[in-house]
Amino acid sequence: MQQREEKLLEASVESLISRVAHLKNALHSFIYKLENEYERLTWPSVLDNFALLSGQLNTINKLLRNEKTPSFRQQVIIPLLLSPDRDEELAKLTEQRVPVFSHEIVPDHLRTKPDPEVEEQEKQLSAEAARIGPEVAQKQIQTLNKLCSNLLEKLNNPRDDRDAESAAIRQNKPSFNTADTNALVAAVGFGKGLSKCRPPGPVAPGHPGQGPMMSGGPTLQQVTIGGGSGQQQGMGPGAPQQQGQGKCQATSRQTSRLPPQCILTTDKILYPILIKYSG
Amino acid sequence: MEAPPVSVLPITGGTINMMEYLLQGSVLDQALESLLHRLRGLCDNMEPETFADHELVYLLKGQQGNPFLLRARRSLSHPTVPWHLRYLGQPEVGDKSRHALVRNCVDVATSHSLPDFLNEMGFRMDHEFVAKGHIFRRGVLKVVVSKLSRILVPGNTENTEPLSLSYLVELSVLAPAGQDTMSEDMRSFAEQLKPLVHLEKIDPKRHM
Repeated sequence: MQQREEKLLEASVESLISRVAHLKNALHSFIYKLENEYERLTWPSVLDNFALLSGQLNTINKLLRNEKTPSFRQQVIIPLLLSPDRDEELAKLTEQRVPVFSHEIVPDHLRTKPDPEVEEQEKQLSAEAARIGPEVAQKQIQTLNKLCSNLLEKLNNPRDDRDAESAAIRQNKPSFNTADTNALVAAVGFGKGLSKCRPPGPVAPGHPGQGPMMSGGPTLQQVTIGGGSGQQQGMGPGAPQQQGQGKCQATSRQTSRLPPQCILTTDKILYPILIKYSG
Repeated sequence: MEAPPVSVLPITGGTINMMEYLLQGSVLDQALESLLHRLRGLCDNMEPETFADHELVYLLKGQQGNPFLLRARRSLSHPTVPWHLRYLGQPEVGDKSRHALVRNCVDVATSHSLPDFLNEMGFRMDHEFVAKGHIFRRGVLKVVVSKLSRILVPGNTENTEPLSLSYLVELSVLAPAGQDTMSEDMRSFAEQLKPLVHLEKIDPKRHM
């Protein structure tokens, strides 16, 4: 019976030691990363490290809670031999952290009570808890439980519910107005509301309404460079058809939609003439 | 607009037909900040560029009544920079499934005598407006957020009043004709700006 317990104790201590060793290694590499690879560290990798540590702590907790683990609280550790001499075995076991098993290190390493500051705080907290009385305490517990469950519910609920809520909130603050979009597009597209002849306001007829001002005549004219000096005679306002001088060759082309070639020739005109103008 | 994309048009002949793919939307003034933040995050990392432009739209009236439109634009913040002349064709009525408005586009940089020149050619200025705002780029995509203002006294760009309480948001790409992959990229970018702005293909003829 006792042998079995001893064996169990040994086994659990071994597994605990290995788990703690893993945790130590993880902490070690994390600290190394933080200190040396500071610039290259990204937040997700830091989070990964924390997650790893938390996982390992969890496994240790599970191990301790396991039914097969004997209660460690009932075990007592008594130092049998204290000596101020350096112990090589101990040093090797503890990676040079505890070279001497002496009177100075024993109180720290074999401590069973918490630190004095922690003890103080715990005493204060228990005094506070005793002070408020059982009913108030119960009510506080209930509110805390309610808040936690609310939060969990919100977090666990499917996304659609959340989206519906947030859409409803956003309805109150729309960030664009379709009527404005249409007005702006119309203004940029063909000057609706911008025409200087009219007072500010949306203009229904648009451009075709201004057609009657023209007394008819040849339409869009293409002037080819080949003819003459390429110089334009002064055209009077609103009467492009008066080209009596005839120094330029004009070909009129009637098209409802101007094909790209027209622009190309217009462009050919613009370039050299502009250079002349600017020069 | 600052640094307009000038398509290469050799004078000797032969041109590259550039098409402009366009998606438009608007955002209310109060939501402007959040839109700018989002764009700053989504777009290429560069100094936020603001611009102030004065655009004049010139018309050459045809017999049919379908006038020829040219847009002349100059920068108010950089008065010595050349003017920018742009021709935009009719939107291509291709596939309905195409997500962006596609139209032929020709851009030229010109000297400062452009208005006089266009007047001499027979064009008449139909309307003008002032556009002030921000410009962002993401690869070839260009996002322009601008406030359009009406000019109250013709020629006077100081005296303006905003056209509406919103900023116009335009997502555009200039690409050679025939490249249809642009509209997909534009649509996915537009998705990222929802629900702040709904960028969509708006046919200007519908609002005539």
